[in-house]
Formats: sequence, C-alpha cells, structure tokens
Amino acid sequence: MKIVTKSFLRYLPRRLSLSLLQLMGVACGVAAVVGMTMSAITALASFSKAVGFLSGKATHSVQRPAGPMEEKALADLARDPSVEHFSPVIDRRLRLSNGDLVRFLGIDPFLDRAIRPEIADAELKRDTGNPEGALSFLLGDDAVLVDRELAQQLKLSSGAILQTTRGSLRVVGTFANPSGDPLVLMDIANAQRLFALQGFVDRADLILTDELGFRTRWENGFLIQSGRQRSIIFSAMLGAFRLNLEALSLLALFVGVFLIYNTAMFAVVNRRRDSGVLRSLGARRHEIIVAFLTEILILGFIGGALGGVIGYCLTRFLTALIGTSITDLYFFLRPEPSAWSSWILFAGIGLGCGASMLGGALPLWEIVRTDPVKALSGRVADRQSGRNAHRTSLAGLLILAISVILLTLPHTHIYVGFAGVFSFLIGASFLTGTVLVAVHPGLKWLLGRMGRLPGKVAAGNIRQNLGRTAVAVAAFMVALSMSVGLGAMIGSFRQSLVWWMGSQLQGELYIGKIGEADVPETFYEEVKRMPGLGGADPYRKVQVLYRGLPVYVASVDASVVQRFTHFGWLKGGNENWEPVKRGGVVISESFARRFKVKSGDTVVLGGAHGPAELKVGGIFYDYTTEHGLLMMDRSTFLRVFGDHTINSLAAFIDPDNPRRQELIQEIKRRAEARGLPMQTQSQLRASILKVFDNTFAVTRSMRALAIVVAFFGIAGALLTLFMERRRDFGIYRSLGFSTGQIATMTLLEGLGMGVVSYLLSIGVGTILAILLINVINLRSFNWTIFFYFDLGPYVWTAITALVASLGAAAYPIWKVCRTYPQMQIREE
Amino acid sequence: MAEPVIRVVDLWKDYADDLTNAPALRGSSLEIDVGEIIALYGKSGSGKSTLFNLIAGLDHPTKGCIEVEGQDLELLGERGRTNLRRFRLGFVFQFFNLLPTLTAFENVFLSLELVARPDTEMASSALREVGLAGKEHRYPNELSGGEQQRVAIARAIVKRPSIILADEPTGNLDTATGNQILDLLTRRCRESRTTLIMATHAPLTCHYADRVLKMVDGVVVEETPGEAVVR
Repeated sequence: MKIVTKSFLRYLPRRLSLSLLQLMGVACGVAAVVGMTMSAITALASFSKAVGFLSGKATHSVQRPAGPMEEKALADLARDPSVEHFSPVIDRRLRLSNGDLVRFLGIDPFLDRAIRPEIADAELKRDTGNPEGALSFLLGDDAVLVDRELAQQLKLSSGAILQTTRGSLRVVGTFANPSGDPLVLMDIANAQRLFALQGFVDRADLILTDELGFRTRWENGFLIQSGRQRSIIFSAMLGAFRLNLEALSLLALFVGVFLIYNTAMFAVVNRRRDSGVLRSLGARRHEIIVAFLTEILILGFIGGALGGVIGYCLTRFLTALIGTSITDLYFFLRPEPSAWSSWILFAGIGLGCGASMLGGALPLWEIVRTDPVKALSGRVADRQSGRNAHRTSLAGLLILAISVILLTLPHTHIYVGFAGVFSFLIGASFLTGTVLVAVHPGLKWLLGRMGRLPGKVAAGNIRQNLGRTAVAVAAFMVALSMSVGLGAMIGSFRQSLVWWMGSQLQGELYIGKIGEADVPETFYEEVKRMPGLGGADPYRKVQVLYRGLPVYVASVDASVVQRFTHFGWLKGGNENWEPVKRGGVVISESFARRFKVKSGDTVVLGGAHGPAELKVGGIFYDYTTEHGLLMMDRSTFLRVFGDHTINSLAAFIDPDNPRRQELIQEIKRRAEARGLPMQTQSQLRASILKVFDNTFAVTRSMRALAIVVAFFGIAGALLTLFMERRRDFGIYRSLGFSTGQIATMTLLEGLGMGVVSYLLSIGVGTILAILLINVINLRSFNWTIFFYFDLGPYVWTAITALVASLGAAAYPIWKVCRTYPQMQIREE
Repeated sequence: MAEPVIRVVDLWKDYADDLTNAPALRGSSLEIDVGEIIALYGKSGSGKSTLFNLIAGLDHPTKGCIEVEGQDLELLGERGRTNLRRFRLGFVFQFFNLLPTLTAFENVFLSLELVARPDTEMASSALREVGLAGKEHRYPNELSGGEQQRVAIARAIVKRPSIILADEPTGNLDTATGNQILDLLTRRCRESRTTLIMATHAPLTCHYADRVLKMVDGVVVEETPGEAVVR
C-alpha cells in the first residue's frame, strides 16, 4: 500500500472511538434499508411461494365475481372441452384456539391429484405413514391434515385434536409444505359442512387447453383468472403499501448518507493539513483522492457488512410486523423470515460503499480543491465558514424552490412526490449553517444562563466550527423532523380514523367477523324481526375487478345506514343514500380519485348475470381500502352478484329506546347460541385502532432508527470538536478553566446543537407532516387525511432530542475528564 | 556565466479575500545560483512565506514571473509544478509538518515513494545522516522538536532535490538545537551542491548563509553577505 494512503488510514485506529461512531452510523443506516427492503421482499416472496404452491399446476381459476360458486357449475366444468382437469376448492381462514390464523383448504383428493399432486396424492399415502390415512381423511367428518411445521409448532401428531373457533378437528396426518404458509387440509365435503357452504365452493382451479374457447363460454357471470393475473392483482394490491415501506427505508438511508457526509467532512477537516503537506511534497491530487476514498470506502465496507448483519436480524422482527399488517389490511399472509445468505452481506457492503461514496462526494470535492497554502496554515477554512454557510443556504433555497415545483406538479407519479419531499428535507438541511449564525446571540444568552462562561464559549464554538456543527445539526434536524413529521401524520391519520369511525360505526353490536365467521342469512332474518330493534345492517364486503383492477364492493341495508349513521360526504349529506335505495351506488373517495369517477357517473361491474350498470349517488370519506370501495344496497348486491353471504351484522337501536339493554342482551344470547363472534361498538373501534397501530409499528421502528443514526452523528461531531481543540483546551487550562467547566462546555455544545436541531425540526417536521398528508398519502392511497394538531409528537421529539444530545455528549465528556488535566499548550 | 537556478522578476501577490491589508508582495525580484545558501531575512508579515509558496508553485502570483531551473512556473501547469515539487524541491517547515500517522522512517520513505524510488536503505541512511539511527519507528509525537526537524530535513534531502526551501527552520526550536539543525542542513546542502533558501526572522540563521536577502513589506530591499547581518 502507498504511504500516502497509509498515512490517511492510520487515522482509523488512532481515533478509534470516532471511527467506531462513524462505523455505527453507516451500519445503522444500511441496517434500516436492508431490514426494511428484505422484509418487504421476504413477505412478497413468501406470498408468491404460497400462491405458487397452492396453485400447483393450475393454469386458471374460475369463480363468481363475488361470493361462493354454486356446486352445480362443476358438472358443466367437467363437460367443458377446454378443461383438462379441474378441482373445486374451499379457500378460507381458520382461527386456532391460541388465536393464530391459518389458511384452510377444502379439496377433493381425487380431483385435486392433477392440480396439487404433492398434497393430494403423495402426502396422503406416504407422509401420514398410515395406510388408512387416506380413508380416514375422506370419511372422518372432522379429519384434517396439518402441515408439518405447524404440527411441530403445536406439538400435534396423528390422532391429536386441533382446537379451533369452529370446533375440534382431528389430525389424521401431516404433510410437507414448502410455502411456509401454515396450512390445514380437509376433504371438501367436510369443509362445506364446517363452513356451512353446502352446495357451494369458493372456486375451481383448472388446467385449460384452450383459454380463449373457455372464456367465450364462461365469461358471463364468472371471473376467470390465469395464475399470472392473480399474482399481478395481488402485487398491485400491495403496491402503495410497499412503496411506502421503501420510502421509509430510503428516509433512514437518507439520514445515514447525511451522517456519512457528516463524518467524511470531519475526516476532510482532519486531513486538510496533511493534504497540504502532501501537496507541498509533490503528491498529486489523485493520490490524495485515492487515499481519502480508500478511507471512506473501508468505513463503508465494514459499516455496510455490519449493517447487513444487523439488517438481517432486524428482518426477523420486521417480517412478522409486515406480515401482520398485510394480513390485517389486504390478504392472509404469514411470511417466514428468509434464511441467511451471503448476498445480504454483499448487499450491505454495496449499500455501505455506495452511501459512503454519495456522502463522501462533497467532502472529497472539498479536499480536492483545498488550497495547499491555506491547508498548511491550519484552520483557515473556518474563518470563511460564515460565508460558506450563506452560500450553502442559497443552494438550499434553490433546492427548496425545486421541491415546491415537484410537489405542486399536478397528476404526477408518486415518485415525483417523494422526490419533492426529499428535496424539501435536503433544502431545509442546507439552511442550518445560516440558522446557526442567526441564532448565535440567542444561543449564547441561553447557554450563558445555563453554564455561565463555559456556556458562552460553547455557543461560540458552535458558531465558529460551522464546518462540523452545521452538518451535525442538519443530520439531527432531519432525524427529528422525521420524528415530528411522521408522528404528526400518524396522529392526524389516527384522529381522522376516529372521526370516520364515529361517522360510520354507529351500531350497538357487530356480529360475525370478516374472513373468519360469516353470519347465516337466517340469523339476519331472525334479528331483523326482533320487535323494538331500530334496524339490522347485513354487511358484505368482497373484492371484485373494476377496469381490470381490484376494488371492493360492500352491500348494506341503505335505509338502516341512512337512518343510523352520519357518513362523511365530500358533497351533500345522507340524502346521498336515496339513489342507493333505488339501485345506485355510493363510492369511496379513493375509488373516485383512482378511477376519476364523479357523482352522477355510471360504473360498470361484472356481475353473476353479466355486466351491471350502476349510477354513482355520492362520494364518502373512507379509510378501509386505498383501492376503492363501492357501497350498494343489499337488494342491488343480490341482483348483481347473487351472493347471499353476510360477513357481519350490525344491530342498531334507537338511543331513547327503553328496552335498549334488554335488546342488546337478547341479540347477544342468540348470537352466542349460534357460536357467532360479537363485538360491541367500542370493541370494534378498539380493534380497528389496534390494526392501525400495528400497521404503523414499522414506521415507528424506522423513526427510532433514524434517531439512533443521528445520535451517532451528534456524538461524532462533539468528539471531533474535542479532538480538534486539544490546543485550545491547553489554553483554557492555562487560563484556569477547571475540568468541570470544560465538561460543562462540552455538554452545553451537545445541548446547544440539540436545541437548534429541535427548534428547526418543529417547522420542518410540521411541513413534512403536511406534505405527507396532502401529497404522499393523497397520491399513494387516494384518501384525505385531516390535519389535527397534537402536542404529543412535539413533546416526544423534544424529549428524544434532549436525551440524544446529552447522551451523545457523554463519551466526549468522559474523554475530557480523562485527558484534560494533562493537557498542555503545544503546537504539535 | 551559469543560469540562475531561481529567477524572480517583479513579483506581486495580492490576496483577493484580504481587502484590508496591503499586497503581501510588492514587486520583489531576485536571482539565486546553483548551490547558493540564501537567508531570506525579514520580520513576521514581510512576505517571506508568500514568496516561498510562490517559488514552490503552491500559489499563483498576481503579477510577475518566477523561473525555476529555467522553467517559467506559470507555463508549467499544475502537473508540471507538482512534478517540480516532487522531484526538484525539498521543504522544511517551522512546525515540521510531519504526517502524524507515519513513523519517522515512513515520513522519509514517503518522499522516495513519491519520486518512484522506494528504496528503504536510502530512507534509513538519510535518517542515520541526520543522527536518528535507532529512532526510525518512532511516531512524531514520540520525538522531541529537534528530532522532528531532523526527520523533516531527512525527508527533504533523501530524494536529492536541487533546491531546498526552509521556512523558519529553527523558529520552533531552542538556540542550541537550532544551531545543530542549521549546521546539519547547510552542511548537507554544501556537500551536495543543493541550493538552500531559508526564510527567517532570526539573525543567527543568516550566519549560515552565503547571502542574505532582506525583505521589508513585500519587497527585497537589500542584499548582504551572511556575516554582515550577524555583525
């Protein structure tokens, strides 16, 4: 290795504590991206694997546009010339007594042999190890096969009882399931009984020889999808969710890059004199560039590798969180964290080196254009730091102007919105130098009051060393702004959701649970007839395709809903239900924005009897799905889809009804008698808020990580300031400053930077929240979140800033206490 | 008559970012021959270091011309000036300017590596010549001021440059050590016929010079033999 490079690299072990801080900063930034991206990829890969395994050799599937398909259609399928093989399926979720949800498949083992031979054939015969296994599976009313991993997890063996909310099931064997998606199999006839679906199946999986011919005969009233189409639709459903996860991880990396820039800038300051010496000895610029690049790439390499490992550990935690959110919001998914691969290490190293190059680019430029004469004369650059700060601020204002243009461009892709938000953060961070100059008198007063002379010196140090302090404050400000901005956005979203629940969820009791326990139609009729009851709303929500994209259709009793709820309408009031009663629909804001449909327009949906034209009567605020929701009266729904399923039943009672409690108890008793799950209004609202909070658990973890990354930035800045000012400390000592006063000075420097960062983050974070609400959420999810001011995020962030800045000062203070008493005035 | 190794004609230097002060150099001119030992004598702020930086090609003059070994520095370009420093010039600074992360040996070896002659024996021999045998593996902070300046001299002489520029070489040393350093530096230069220019504000340094150029307010005002200044 060249001596020039060696002279730079020796700084790494010489200033080990600073190197470790830099390393941890890079590692945390990389860990955030690796953890988040891998978790999202793992969740989707797990989903694709499950879909692939469950689809088997099927080329297509056929089902009703909404709800189960009549069993009699199977006879026609058997006769169809294009159908080589078919297999009817009941595809549901089953809740185990321990609360876990598993996928449940009801299949015909004989018909299914051609579609999923692994399940239907091989496993039945071999894996059960029981020659009577196949027979008992077919004949036992409660016989199920459980996938091997689930069986191991629940300690189930052949003959054991699997307790579920639908009763006890007898395990007759296990089978290998490579998808990682917990799976329980039952004979289809028994499954129909278990789910009260006699005469119906959910779909039929097909192997087609002639797709076109089949479509011609079956298109009317049925939904035919190829395996690829189904995958595309499921992926499309996760599009916005995934995009937001990626954006979050990019935000964390953004802070990480800032930190690298921060630390690389420190390195430049440290190496400035050395580079001047080297230039005077005849070293060429490129030799210094190579030396500097080698140094930051080594940090990027080791930090990236470490970040890869930490990110992998993070994946194990985040994958479960993301899986839960996807299950709550979209479709059933139980992803397994991916296995360790050396590619994770390579990805981490690549990211670490890439981020280091990005973060090191400006500092590198700084070192390249350093005037050797000035470099040799010492810390000349700082004399110009005020001027540089103003120049940087002008660049910041330019970037802010670009961000305004990006954010106000109409109808652009969401990526443009993200670019606008990132530009805003970059632009704002460029202003920190000027802000530090501007607030210096105030800071001097504040720190002077807190620490007298050391406080005033601390304020001066922050002002004088803008090269270091402005970048550290910028990184910390961005992290704190993320905390304020995401906190305020989540808080506003939560408040909007509470408002939405107050407007729509007015029922006394909610019986049944979507996707788990449907409500028998007879029960609905029974409740509806109960004397004194205000109304019963039979709710059904089902996914259909509109213009080839997944949307949801919900059926309600329009009269009951009109009387008992107060939907939030974009225009008008509850009179919007009148057209619904006459066969029209109302649509959610997300549907209206996504498909650019207005009140009075007509939408066409594929129904059980062909296309149905439905007139839009109004648009309502809704946060249940970003894909769009059409709501229609049950009579219209039955006419269009012929689906009698009821997912949940809401019971409404007039508030002044004297028999209110009695009626509630009576409905509860009847629901209990049928084994139907129930929730009161407050329980339902609480469970929705729980789903909401779970969904944002990932966001919160990213917020925390950004703070950790910035913490290393502040600690690094303080440590660098301490190291650079050893000579100054000698002077302080000769003037009679005590160790305690120097420690106070260091502490107040940290606090001063924390205070300025926090004050900046109040403004920047609030604007970030408004941008997230009005640009990002609106463009990704097509719904309006109302901004609610809440002091919570600001207080939390203030506490975080205080703790982080004081914590960051701890190590430099320890160094001060250890070394200050021995410091002398000396040049070298 | 032989060509001068350094020729400076009507040199001006005005720092653009320093509007409050007068120009650092105001029309300095001088000629120095091969093997001469020159003391550039003047008070702090007289323009000695500025002249040094300009002769080394580290900075650009506002006006005027500098020729080193017959080559106009402005015409050499950045690469040419770097090569000049690398192969033809040696530097000795007041504050030594050793790289703190390299040992004494590595600081000297660095010079050889830059001229593509990475000969470890030459580096060790240069350190022996300046009296630092046995201290090769010490870092600068493990050496005294005098020893650090000896390393700096070894670093300058090891590549056998034609000119050595020494900026206040004894400014950070006590008198006895300063004398030792000047004795060593001038002896080595006389032996190898290396031109040595020492910027100094100490009359004692002039004692070692063949010629003393006195600088006042950015101009070379008088030229005297070395002995004359000491008297």
